[in-house]
Amino acid sequence: MNAYDYRIRALFVDVRSREAEFRELSPGLSGTFLGGRGIGALLLSDNPILDPLHEQAPLVFSTGALTGSRIPSSGRMAISGFSPLTGTVCSTSVGGRLALSMKRSGIDLLCITGRAVHPVVVAIDDGIVSFETLSLPLDAPLSRVFGELRTGPGSVAAVGKAAFGECRYAAIMVDGVFSSGRGGLGTVMASKNIRAVTVRGSGTFPVHDRQAEEDARRDIIRLFDASPAITGRPGLKHFGTAALVDLMASRRMMPTANFRRTYFEEYRAFSAGAIHRRFSPKHHACPGCPIACKQKAHSEIPEFETLSHFGALNENADLDAVIEANRICNEDGVDTITAASTIACLAEIRGECYTGARLVDMVRRIADSSGDGELLKLGSAVLARELGAPGKSMSVKSLELPAYDPRGAYGMALAYCTSTRGGCHLRAYPISHEILRKPVATDRFSFSGKARIIKISEDLNAAIDSIGACKFAFFGASLEEYARGFAAVTGLQIDHQDLLAAGDTISALERHINCLRGFTRKDDVLPLRFFTEPGTPGPGIEVPPIDRAAFDEALDRYYRIRGCTKDGTLTLKRREEIEQCRHR
Amino acid sequence: MQAQVDKYLAKLIRHGLIAGEADAALFGLDDVIFTNRDSVPAEASELFSLLNINSLLIARPEPMLWSIIGQLADGNPGLIRPRDCESLTFIHDIPVVPSLDPGPVARALSRRKGCIVRDTGIVTTGTVSLEQAFISMSSICFATFVKFFTGALNAAAGHSGAAPVDPAKRSACLELLERSAPRAFVEPLPRRLPAATEDEAVRAMDEAGRSVVEAGLVDSFFGNISCRDAEVVYISQTGSSLDELPGYIDRAFMDGSSTCEITSSSELMAHVRTYELTGDDAIVHGHPRFSVIMSMFGEPLEFGRTRFIGDVPVVAGEVGAGSRGLLHTLPPAMEDHHCAIVAGHGTFTSCTGSFAPALRRLSSIELMCYRACRDVLEAGKTG
Repeated sequence: MNAYDYRIRALFVDVRSREAEFRELSPGLSGTFLGGRGIGALLLSDNPILDPLHEQAPLVFSTGALTGSRIPSSGRMAISGFSPLTGTVCSTSVGGRLALSMKRSGIDLLCITGRAVHPVVVAIDDGIVSFETLSLPLDAPLSRVFGELRTGPGSVAAVGKAAFGECRYAAIMVDGVFSSGRGGLGTVMASKNIRAVTVRGSGTFPVHDRQAEEDARRDIIRLFDASPAITGRPGLKHFGTAALVDLMASRRMMPTANFRRTYFEEYRAFSAGAIHRRFSPKHHACPGCPIACKQKAHSEIPEFETLSHFGALNENADLDAVIEANRICNEDGVDTITAASTIACLAEIRGECYTGARLVDMVRRIADSSGDGELLKLGSAVLARELGAPGKSMSVKSLELPAYDPRGAYGMALAYCTSTRGGCHLRAYPISHEILRKPVATDRFSFSGKARIIKISEDLNAAIDSIGACKFAFFGASLEEYARGFAAVTGLQIDHQDLLAAGDTISALERHINCLRGFTRKDDVLPLRFFTEPGTPGPGIEVPPIDRAAFDEALDRYYRIRGCTKDGTLTLKRREEIEQCRHR
Repeated sequence: MQAQVDKYLAKLIRHGLIAGEADAALFGLDDVIFTNRDSVPAEASELFSLLNINSLLIARPEPMLWSIIGQLADGNPGLIRPRDCESLTFIHDIPVVPSLDPGPVARALSRRKGCIVRDTGIVTTGTVSLEQAFISMSSICFATFVKFFTGALNAAAGHSGAAPVDPAKRSACLELLERSAPRAFVEPLPRRLPAATEDEAVRAMDEAGRSVVEAGLVDSFFGNISCRDAEVVYISQTGSSLDELPGYIDRAFMDGSSTCEITSSSELMAHVRTYELTGDDAIVHGHPRFSVIMSMFGEPLEFGRTRFIGDVPVVAGEVGAGSRGLLHTLPPAMEDHHCAIVAGHGTFTSCTGSFAPALRRLSSIELMCYRACRDVLEAGKTG
């Protein structure tokens, strides 16, 4: 294969008309938007102001160029759409076998529009699309859905009871335990009357330069081995993301009691050590990933965010309840972060505390739409507004904040606000340098230099999400090594600065779409609590409220660096540049 | 960001990487550029516009080092490929470009963290902080120094694959060697270990760390240091600078019962295993240049094999805990000798009672290796 042959092969499916059409994106577009999240944003920008649940609003499943290659930890893909929870553009990075199965089926990208007359399963077998029905009721647990649909080595992406019950933050679950969680794309899928997408493929795909691929792989593995956060004794390889529980508690940035405190005295109840002592979980991984951060015992072990939010955020020290809450979310197809945060929000408004069996019952009600579930399924922003306490929703652009208190990491504070999908830690992932010291440490209690750091990190992570790589890989390796892998696989003469430039275009396009949807500076702000209330101090650690003036100055700098006006919208020049990129 | 500029300029001088303030231009960019210069030269502005970075360092290494880099670049036009362990892991190779023309320099920096510009010096970048640019600069200096003398030694000894060296070149090499002699080692206060309190442990590590850096026994931010108190190991954090340790020391447990140590040095497990095998109280790990050079002299050491320089074992092993990691080879060597050199990487020493014996040993091994280097070169000269 020569470089010119690298094109994205896209399958467009309309589930109402049941028509399917293959198209190839031009090499120019493939080079500019890379794949994954980038191509998702490009397709969303074709009709940027659609209601998220409009029949013609696209739901895009998009692999990366590295999917299926020997480049480590590159088996992820993006699912993109407009979020019914936030109203923003939304893209999630998801693991499992779906990306690899799509590639083997000859598909880099699947774009679904329309609304099926009856609930259907979109089945793809070596690129051939068919529409099937499922005998199970719509409220069947997802484990039964996966049991019914999973035959052989393919992959299944499915939505469950929560999505069909119009929960605004329903997840798309992949292969049972991999969640496309944030923003409610499961709700989008259900609005199209799609219960599942199944993909099987038997094909192979070319790699431009096998030796260069092997050289890049070797360099990356060497860096993984040198990374304490990945392969060190306490690293992700041994403890999964639960490894972060002890660290966040010790740094006094563990959101507790709906962010009223930043330290939960009983955090050890759900620490990695506690989990390992009780369950000795086994590891499993996305295809081709040596990190293997997923863990399973009698039930799936929750990720760090889920542990912390069903634990500390709800002042719940009952590990069994945390695991059960997570299991229910997986069975019903619910985003755990928003679920836990919305329950904590309700608890604060009512002056109550939901722990143990009561917490589990609340989680169950989200998908059931019963009792408090009618309110809980709307997310914390709507719930708090409905109950006359909008300030109690700990969200940005209606997306609930994850388990890193912004008062303990100022880059994180800024990144929550500039993130194009709302209060998300993954768009810039400053925890990497503010807490984990990678690639180098920064002062977590300072905004100095953070505006450009966050901008570059957003570009970096947009590139990572668009080539199919996993963010955890970057606790060891860097885009330098992954760019070599990208060039080896595609034959495109691309280096890490080219990938960063693509990330810049993707981030700017997403912001532009949001601006067209009515988002401005007024939406790029943290809940008032973080500017007025201190966190919990610890030995040698003070956690004061964030200085609002310093935050605003950092946001001003970010806008200038990103090419925005003071109001947070792209400048005319930048809009024209983005428009040119869209038509390459 | 101006504070970062000032800090790393001072560090470049303190570490002996540049001769004076005039030899380095540092730039940190948020929405405006901060620098140690009166104005921002056109080349720097152009590089910032071509690259998605926030930090830029342009520096001419001190004259002797610059001369070595020049000679190395003469023999490796376009690209220098270091073979030491840290360089293989972190910087891979070093592009060489002829001049500070922003286009070619940007192309080199789009591929790697730093490059050598023949008419200027070393140019490095960062996307998070100037610390990255400083580390890359320091690493390139270390890597080129090691590669130069490893090549010279192998040539002098007539090892296979090495190009023969003419007598004039060998004399020049000896002269450079004389000027690179290890610095005098100043012993820190003999603080007792195990320390009575955590504060005492931190103080002991702080003093020991600074003495390692001041003696030139570690480059940039590499190396690590720890001490043990029963079930607790105090260890420097990953990427911490050994001359700035307070606030950057993790408290790890021998049994791994807390995951707070996720920010610890990548060699934590090698330290823990060494403590288990030796019963010692302190471990120091530096990257003394001549110890690394001598460990790379001759045929590459196979993983699992041991050879000796004097009475010091040399073992193979990559950074960290991978299947070919030094975790598997270093601790057994430490058990018998309380010191070992990991080939192409650096030296570990351990001891009881205080840091002093480990520091003395680190320094004496370096002096021994320096003399061994000189002997090889001189033998080649007379032979």
